[in-house]
Amino acid sequence: MCSAVVPLSPPPATNALAAGRGVPARPLIGTLDSNRTQVVMETLLQRIVETGSAIAIIDITGVPTVDTMVAQHLMKTVAAARLMGTECMISGIRPQIAQTMVHLGVALGDVTTKATLAGAFATALHKMRLAITDVKA
Amino acid sequence: MDRIPILKMGDLLLVTIQVDMHDRLAMTLQDDLTDRIVTARARGVLIDISGLEMVDSFIGRMLANIASMSRVLDAETVVVGMRPAVAITLVELGLTLNGVRTALNVDKGMELLNSLGGHQG
Amino acid sequence: MPVEREQQLRLVSSEDIVLVRQAVRQMAADLGFSLVDQTKLVTAASELARNAVIYGGGGTARIENVNARQRNGIRVTFEDNGPGIADIQQAMKDGYTTGGGLGLGLGGAKRLTDEFEIESHPGKGTRVGITRWR
Repeated sequence: MCSAVVPLSPPPATNALAAGRGVPARPLIGTLDSNRTQVVMETLLQRIVETGSAIAIIDITGVPTVDTMVAQHLMKTVAAARLMGTECMISGIRPQIAQTMVHLGVALGDVTTKATLAGAFATALHKMRLAITDVKA
Repeated sequence: MDRIPILKMGDLLLVTIQVDMHDRLAMTLQDDLTDRIVTARARGVLIDISGLEMVDSFIGRMLANIASMSRVLDAETVVVGMRPAVAITLVELGLTLNGVRTALNVDKGMELLNSLGGHQG
Repeated sequence: MPVEREQQLRLVSSEDIVLVRQAVRQMAADLGFSLVDQTKLVTAASELARNAVIYGGGGTARIENVNARQRNGIRVTFEDNGPGIADIQQAMKDGYTTGGGLGLGLGGAKRLTDEFEIESHPGKGTRVGITRWR
């Protein structure tokens, strides 16, 4: 059994650009799992430019603790990506992290957050009018 | 260079800023664009800043002004190609560029303009 | 590549602001600053250079390679003989939403750099120094 990414509905004419290149657009996923948040953030933004991803998912499942500095870097990255024209989602927010963020008064604003990477990926695909479906091999 | 060139593509105006702009050049661009939007009956303006290594508060204000003025003239503006280092610096500077639509590159910028203005780009 | 240890540039016209940006960029690149750090320093310098030209009636920018505790850095000092700032605290507050005003550049420049010093008195001009360490 394998899966493929297929459009939910006929893509608008302008998306023919991406399809024409033979590679369907997909959300970019960046994994944050170290304390070198600043470097990872800069790399993520660079990857966004290189891949032309209008949606990026920052997965923090592997982050042990979210202190003020990590939270601030996260928010700055989301803000920078938005300035560049990319929407970010944050996935992998465990209950403890959610509590910490609320205590720290971290304002997530209108950033979409999901508990799991799979959930964020599905949401991103939906926004891009794509879906994962099973294809008989 | 004493003015930044403005290209007309259908009812779209395309501006590519490739030089380290001094303030007067930025003001001239603002004026030129306002005139051109009217004379070309443009519905959209695409400003490519992929060549800019720096955007300070003056240039940021220029972009915001262009976005506002074009809207008054019934055109939409999209700024494309902002470099990561520039974006990071703007966030640190505290400049939000509210009211300025952005897209990653020219392709995405045109997509956005198409979806906004309903014109054939 | 030999690095200019110190440069002094005049700040009179808006074109001079660009020259200061370029000189700061060049020194930062030569010293191996990361792209993001270069951009932050250049942007801060641009804000302060503009203040000197527009509000200070013109002045100078001194760009120096500095060393301390085995760290390499760049210090840029802006001086003008303009009207000076009466209330520095007020001037440091941001006013981006209101647009215009002396406060725009100072707060931003401070956030973008590691060290920020300002000395100003009404009628006695203004001196602002910023430092970024590699």
